[in-house]
Amino acid sequence: MKHESIETNSGLLIVLTLIVISIGGLVEIVPLYFIDDTVETVKVDGVDTIRPYTPLELRGRDIYQREGCYTCHSQMIRPFRDEALRYGHYSLAAESQFDHPFQWGSKRTGPDLARVGGKYSNDWHVRHLVAPRSMVPESIMPNYPWLLDTPLRYKDIENRMRALKMVGVPYSETEAEYNANVERFGKEVADMLDINYATENLVKQAQTGNYDLDNTDITEMDALVAYLQVLGTMVDFKQFDEGYFATFR
Amino acid sequence: MAAASASAGEQYNYDIVRKFTVMALVWGVLGMLAGVYIASELAWPILNLDNPALTFGRLRPVHTTLVIFGFGGSALFATSYYVVQRTCQTRLFSDGLANFTFWGWQLSVGLAAISYMAGYTQAREYAEMVWPIDLLIAVTWVAYLVVYVVTLTRRSQPHIYVANWFFIAFILATALLHIFNNMAVPVSFFSLESYSLHAGVQDAMTQWWYGHNAVGFFLTAAFLGMMYYFVPKQAGRPVYSYRLSIIHFWALIFLYMWVGGHHLHWTALPDWTSTLAATFSILLLLPSWGGMINGIMTLSGAWDKLRTDPVIRFMVVSLSFYGMSTFEGPLMSLKSVNALSHYTDWTIGHVHSGALGWVAMVSFGSLYHLVPRLWETTMYSVRAIYLHFWLATIGIVLYISAMWVSGIGQGLMLRAFDEYGNLAYNFIETVSFLHKPYVIRAFGGALFVTGIIIMGWNVVMTIRKGRREAAEIEARIAAKMAAAS
Amino acid sequence: MEEFFSWFTKMENTKPFVLVLFFVTFVGIILYVYTGNRRKQRLESYKNIPLDDDANDTNREGNEQ
Repeated sequence: MKHESIETNSGLLIVLTLIVISIGGLVEIVPLYFIDDTVETVKVDGVDTIRPYTPLELRGRDIYQREGCYTCHSQMIRPFRDEALRYGHYSLAAESQFDHPFQWGSKRTGPDLARVGGKYSNDWHVRHLVAPRSMVPESIMPNYPWLLDTPLRYKDIENRMRALKMVGVPYSETEAEYNANVERFGKEVADMLDINYATENLVKQAQTGNYDLDNTDITEMDALVAYLQVLGTMVDFKQFDEGYFATFR
Repeated sequence: MAAASASAGEQYNYDIVRKFTVMALVWGVLGMLAGVYIASELAWPILNLDNPALTFGRLRPVHTTLVIFGFGGSALFATSYYVVQRTCQTRLFSDGLANFTFWGWQLSVGLAAISYMAGYTQAREYAEMVWPIDLLIAVTWVAYLVVYVVTLTRRSQPHIYVANWFFIAFILATALLHIFNNMAVPVSFFSLESYSLHAGVQDAMTQWWYGHNAVGFFLTAAFLGMMYYFVPKQAGRPVYSYRLSIIHFWALIFLYMWVGGHHLHWTALPDWTSTLAATFSILLLLPSWGGMINGIMTLSGAWDKLRTDPVIRFMVVSLSFYGMSTFEGPLMSLKSVNALSHYTDWTIGHVHSGALGWVAMVSFGSLYHLVPRLWETTMYSVRAIYLHFWLATIGIVLYISAMWVSGIGQGLMLRAFDEYGNLAYNFIETVSFLHKPYVIRAFGGALFVTGIIIMGWNVVMTIRKGRREAAEIEARIAAKMAAAS
Repeated sequence: MEEFFSWFTKMENTKPFVLVLFFVTFVGIILYVYTGNRRKQRLESYKNIPLDDDANDTNREGNEQ
């Protein structure tokens, strides 16, 4: 084939260009779905400890995305000494396996949040989100006072879980799916993943969790703090041998 | 052939080029103002004003979308529609479909900006548009491809000029990236929200395959198409080596698609993927510099024009920044460098040396070339072009220097240890360090915006001048006709 | 299929394979583009396309290429 025919035939130019630009993506993306080692196995006593988000955490995650938190905070700890001291164990691929979309971020204007869960009290988070400089005077984070005043919208929580189920998150709707979750995550977690009880679970978690320090209503603050408090808490690294996770890298 | 009196404006569809040119400037001014505002928010957080729509997190995608897709996109539509007509010497296919691409694109950009401020986003960098806007973009893009390709097939000479290859690659790659990166399941038919099809590590790789090729094809290949037409045209000399441009094209479009993984060094992405991405990132230096040399050498022998032609200055500076940022890029893709630079402002500085230095400067040069031809007159003020040039150049230099200081400085502080092996700084101390560079960055950005505002004024005055001159000619012809009869 | 893909993920396979494949293609393109005097003249003649279009602006008769 002569190059001349490429230059003079727009159809051929298009086809060849498409082939040339497809190779890179195919080689780098497709295998990630097929190679088992890409996502680590994290089981304790035969049970998966990394679980999908509860309805309340899920709504918190939606708010995290809505406010563009990912533009300043990463959720991906790298395997360096300074990051280990500052944030904790490096992030596993398994820890974001239910994240649609991923929120690894690309910029740390603020610190990494991958393991922020449990580091601060609910009280601290609420004050900090309402007025960051009241807790950290040098902070440049915006205030988010409306989170405390805005009632959480959760009428469509079942639809949200169904949409996530369609993209592969193991929320359950049928008896069989529920039983599979009991086997995979244990009964307590499986109950929270049941779409049929989504609203009840959401309300119950908000009221017992006491995330925004006010039990009279469910606000966006409840959901966001619930989400922040679960980040990075699903893997107990003491349960695994040193070097176990390195075998996946 | 048309009647002897037919002007270029009738032979070609210049109307669509004019519309996109004007909108490029409108979005450019708005998007860069948004940029200066969010840069100021980082320096003075009180500017967030406790207003959800104005917080950094919601305004940042407004800035990126308006400048990349509004300014850059409209400039690309304008120049690609102009170049394909001029180099094929045929009229653009279907005025109606071309107009559809105009309205579809402007609506997408406008709706995207409004929806982010209202809190509707996919939370994927540079692809934040919610699914209905994604669909509108997809339809618009298919129309663009049809208009472009049918025009190509109607050309009056056998060879397709290389600028069009770059534009074709840009259109095809953008379609591919847009579709695969935005696959999602909506919450319901009447909800703007959706959840992405991919998750975690696969999602990250797909997103940065998209993200880096938005840079590679939207902000590079397409602007190289612009370069391959407007630089020779403005210099009045053909491109230095056509054979080099062929090599440049195939090497560039092949290599770019591999490099997205370098945004995910040291993350949970498998090592083999990011190593592969780093390798190709370094290889990419070669075609990038090949293209830069081809552009710069086109100007050799016309260096005297640098003194007399401010438009050539924009082009030379843009090619220089292209060379610089395509050197910096491979450097930052090295894992050891990336360990320091990633998550810091160094990345932001690098993006802007490409986006302001290369993309915006070559667009300004091309638009200054285009505007007098579209409205059949000369630029209203040449001195204003000089002023714009200096404001823009000084603005970029301040911007990227400030980001080098803040990025490298913060990177070093974060990994510093004291004599006992403890962290030398806590995170917030590094944030305090960023304040001064952030002020300088905002100032540099403000200079750049002032430049494009002056350009906007200059273009408006040029359009008015063109209309006035056209009216005068018409009046003269009418008077002559009346006298003759 | 899975085996086929995982072969590519092993660096010791991929590196030489890709190196040879791309290098041969690259050299092929270079050789094609930069050899032959006639080809050189033909390819380099295309660079005048953007500069030829001005003549067409006024559409003077007999000014066709």
